[in-house]
Amino acid sequence: MTDLFVDSYPKQARVVRSAFLTAYIALGIGALFGVLQALHRTDILRLVESPTYYTILTGHGVFLVITFTIFFLVGLYQWAVTDSLGRGPVDMRLTWAWYGLMSSGTLLAAIAILAGFLDDPPTVLGSELSADVLFTFYAPLQANPIFYVGLVLFVVGTWLAGADWFRTWWSWKQENPDARIPLPTFMVLTTMIMWYISSIGVAVSILAFILPWSLGLTGSLNPTLTRTLFWYFGHPVVYFWLLPAYLLWYTVLPKLSGGRLFSDPLARVVFILFILLSTPVGIHHQYLDPGISDGFKFIVMTNTMFLLLPSFLTAFTVVASMEHGARQRGGDGYFNWLQALPWRDPAFTGMSLAGVVFAFGGFTGIVNAGMNINYLVHNSLWVPGHIHTQVGTAVALTFMAGSYWLVPQLTGNRLVGRDVALVQVVLWFVGIVFMTNSMYRGGLIGIPRRSAEPQYDFDYEIAVGSIPEIRAQLAIGGVLLFVSAMLFLVLILLTAFNDDSEPIVDGTIPPALSGPEDSPRVLDDLRVWIAIALVLVAIAYAFPLANIVSRGGLFGPDIGPFPVVVETVASVLSTTDTGMYLEALVETES
Amino acid sequence: MDDTTAAREIDHDEFDPYGTLALIVLYFVVLTLMWVFTYFVEFLGNAPTPMIVL
Amino acid sequence: MRTSPAKLLILIAILLVIVVELRTVLAFFDVELTVLQGIAVGIVGIALLLVWAFSPLFSESDQ
Repeated sequence: MTDLFVDSYPKQARVVRSAFLTAYIALGIGALFGVLQALHRTDILRLVESPTYYTILTGHGVFLVITFTIFFLVGLYQWAVTDSLGRGPVDMRLTWAWYGLMSSGTLLAAIAILAGFLDDPPTVLGSELSADVLFTFYAPLQANPIFYVGLVLFVVGTWLAGADWFRTWWSWKQENPDARIPLPTFMVLTTMIMWYISSIGVAVSILAFILPWSLGLTGSLNPTLTRTLFWYFGHPVVYFWLLPAYLLWYTVLPKLSGGRLFSDPLARVVFILFILLSTPVGIHHQYLDPGISDGFKFIVMTNTMFLLLPSFLTAFTVVASMEHGARQRGGDGYFNWLQALPWRDPAFTGMSLAGVVFAFGGFTGIVNAGMNINYLVHNSLWVPGHIHTQVGTAVALTFMAGSYWLVPQLTGNRLVGRDVALVQVVLWFVGIVFMTNSMYRGGLIGIPRRSAEPQYDFDYEIAVGSIPEIRAQLAIGGVLLFVSAMLFLVLILLTAFNDDSEPIVDGTIPPALSGPEDSPRVLDDLRVWIAIALVLVAIAYAFPLANIVSRGGLFGPDIGPFPVVVETVASVLSTTDTGMYLEALVETES
Repeated sequence: MDDTTAAREIDHDEFDPYGTLALIVLYFVVLTLMWVFTYFVEFLGNAPTPMIVL
Repeated sequence: MRTSPAKLLILIAILLVIVVELRTVLAFFDVELTVLQGIAVGIVGIALLLVWAFSPLFSESDQ
């Protein structure tokens, strides 16, 4: 057994612990908001008025898919870079600076969102403090400027984090000029390249258009443009959530299975494919948007289908690595080897179940990505079903399982309640299947997403079961997930205070069966991949963006602000026509 | 059985992932069935598009 | 016991998942199970699993 991470790198362990702590707090609040929504929209328990549902919905989205996932990512990546390069950052002040920027940005955005619970929100920077604009915060919904300022600080923080890791790698490279980039660091650097390319979209969208508009500096904007810029970032961001989970699957999961990674070169190819393909696909979220012609949408659909490739490669490599572990542990046969895997280990079981859900949830993604079939499910409850199997399980469950392995190494404390932890990950698996199955079925018959009250006075044409049954199943699933999330947080909290203990965990990552020496060096030449990625982005986006701007103008055909404030909603709703328009706006997403 | 110690060492040349192949074949069979299912939901589950003659 | 408690827990979870998804699939072939029937299938399945796991007839040494 080697030294624990906390003993070898105490200063870096502190950064990772801080990032994880922020992530877990966000997970707790987000999970609470999630169960409130599940019970509200199924009309089982309504603790808030329906207009406040959208505050909860925004909080659920932002706290989970921005705060929880990305804070976990920066923590995990700081661990991965430090551990695989065997050294800390060049200057720890930069490290704390990005952590500080990300935290203060989160705090500002959180204040703006949570002000939605106030009956009489204060006026800040010329408008009421509120940000009921959902996670997809494009125009014409408008939040208080504080929300956008918070987002900008957060994103700049992640940029600096990437710069910090590149700097660490660069100075490692000076000492090891001929060495290949260690795989975990390679994954970190490629993820960050993808992030730099893609987050430009949201930065331009906020800084050039939405923030000045919310401050009243510009009177109007072009909604199609801000939507397109948002989705330019909005699809790669899902890989920003997913790639840390991939890092755990490629490095930690084979080790937990008792084996070694099957192929290091294949893992590198997968991450390069994500640099190349994850950005020029964003328009597939806009298949139903007017103002973008079908030809562009078709190109984007083709790119999206190519994106299946890295995920299939991953399925093969990761499963083959697990099989290698199982066979080393004495397993044999075509399927019997599965029994030889360490199912008692919550870290292993959590990641494996997450992978299973991901494999089948991926299918629903293919449905979303198909231009014609997308029309069947667009804006329906099917889409949150897809999101919850992918980021809500493949990513979140992998992060929780990974925490059971990492947190003892970061704290020097033994994991509390290993058997309870196993129950926790299994409970998540069952809960997500209950909830998403009902969401998929509900979506197919047209139940809308993002609506506090999807109860109408017409009957849905349902093929299987009944509407009350779908609602009950959704609520049961949501409650199971909430219980599971709380169990996780309690176990981690107890572990953090479990001082008088020695962890039973071995942090060494064995080398791959087929190492980096089996692959061409060009895989490590990041400049080549950046250049190709930029060309692909230009091909996919230059014409659609030019088209949108030439038709609607940079600042749009006189689109006024649409502040989402409870009073406004109530008064506007009283007039039927605008009320319907508003409802359509609130529900029209993704 | 729950510790991660290996019962035997298997290196790159001795390892043929037949189990992985079996699982992937199974997965693709399930995917194909799901596509067939989708065809029925999408194309046969809905009434024909209404024609409006002006 | 034929298997370990951990594997039994996971088998039960997978069984529940199959029951939930199978209702949708069966309905496609015009076999409509009510919620109660679905729950009954689940309980019978779990009972069979437990009998299999604990039956002394098949007792092997625990792993």
